[in-house]
Amino acid sequence: MIDKLKEISKDQLLAEVKKYADSKAKFVTGSCNDLGDKLEVTYYFNASPGMDMSALRFVVGKGEEVPSMTGIYLTAVLIENEMKELFGLKVKDLAIDFGGHMMLAQDSPVLPMLKSEDQKAAAQKGGK
Amino acid sequence: MAPRTITPFGPQHPVLPEPIQLKLTLEDEKVVDVLPAIGYGHRGIEKACELNEYPKNIYLCERICGICSAIHGMTYCDVVEKLWPLEIPPRAKYLRTIWAEMSRTHSHLLWLGLAVDALGFESMFMQYWRIREKVLDILEMTAGHRVTQSVAVVGGVRRDIDDDQKKHCIEVLKDVRKEAEALNNVLVNDYTVKARTVGKGVLSYDQAIALGCCGPHLRASGVKEDCRQLGYWAYGDLSFEPITAPGGDTYSRVAVRCGELLQAIDLQLEAFAKMPEGDIAAKPKGSPPANEAATRIEQPRGELFYYAKGNGTRNLERLRVRTPTYANIPSLLVMLPGCEMADVAIIVLSIDPCISCTER
Repeated sequence: MIDKLKEISKDQLLAEVKKYADSKAKFVTGSCNDLGDKLEVTYYFNASPGMDMSALRFVVGKGEEVPSMTGIYLTAVLIENEMKELFGLKVKDLAIDFGGHMMLAQDSPVLPMLKSEDQKAAAQKGGK
Repeated sequence: MAPRTITPFGPQHPVLPEPIQLKLTLEDEKVVDVLPAIGYGHRGIEKACELNEYPKNIYLCERICGICSAIHGMTYCDVVEKLWPLEIPPRAKYLRTIWAEMSRTHSHLLWLGLAVDALGFESMFMQYWRIREKVLDILEMTAGHRVTQSVAVVGGVRRDIDDDQKKHCIEVLKDVRKEAEALNNVLVNDYTVKARTVGKGVLSYDQAIALGCCGPHLRASGVKEDCRQLGYWAYGDLSFEPITAPGGDTYSRVAVRCGELLQAIDLQLEAFAKMPEGDIAAKPKGSPPANEAATRIEQPRGELFYYAKGNGTRNLERLRVRTPTYANIPSLLVMLPGCEMADVAIIVLSIDPCISCTER
């Protein structure tokens, strides 16, 4: 389990992130999980000083727009672009939008981090 | 306003061992804007880690980076162990710490060589890399390989260090420390080095926090934060205090790494002296449970973050890796504007960029 994980809605995201910024916390990174018809997004922060880590998590439907936190933490620009092109997370108002080609080239697989049907079936059967 | 030109810096450039491109907007010789472009080395390792059974991912994660390969393998094992959770034997904690600090030693020696070469000190570059060979030799002797050491297993480590090897490592490390200290003294006091680095690429304390920087890059802005303070593996038993510098400039980043190089050797010597006898690995039972965990380990370039999610099968549901350079690249957006084109190379190099790590 992740310690100090707070579950929020996507509408609460910017207000919650602002609290971290106001407390001078450092943004660490984000991670995205494919839950089938939804995406689970988690952002991690380190308190400074002390390095105490905590996290914010929300779940959105695939295709739903989520606000970018790059207006508060510019450093989130890489992970938000990455989640956009690898998972299809629709991030709105990115400070720098690489247009789906930060990591991927024109001929790369589309949304390669989403679970394939084989992966889903293997997980349901208990793995190989 | 002078006419503006956009000049690509990289992806192939003499100071860049790996490909990254910076699109520099210049007014005459002054940088006014920068846009980083990555993606030249993306290998999809996170996806591959979902498709392999979890023990095989150690080999994949070790190949995320050639310089801190051992630390990637050990960090992967650390986060997977947290899924059970599984406690590793005390001797394994010390062995992981020793190999991690050996990696930091040769990584900082590599960086110092590259940095002085970028400044034009070719003989000093060869001296740093000459003594780095001695560290690679003891890595090869203890781990079996110079580059991809492959010492980690889930539950501990794969190999032990016997008394003869330990004695030889201590002799070599003392010798390397003496030579490194002499070189460092020349480096940090040299007039030309100061002229090329003092006041270049400044990042203030507040900017370093706001931009989420980590590692020596963060500590060179005066922020006393280092994951080793969390006391993982054997660090809780060792005398460790983060090394900082107040300037936030390229010179401070050189000075912090010079200090950390000597400190890494001291930590190895202390760990060898305190290492207990005992088993080197605990055996995990079954598959990683349906759980999730995150871990943070201090790599030579800064905080390495791993997140793992198990689903009760032999395959992980998800593995996420955030490397230090990934956190440090955005700071270039602040450090480069205002500098001269001639200073771009050493400023970019001063974050110790590792692109294969960043893109995974």
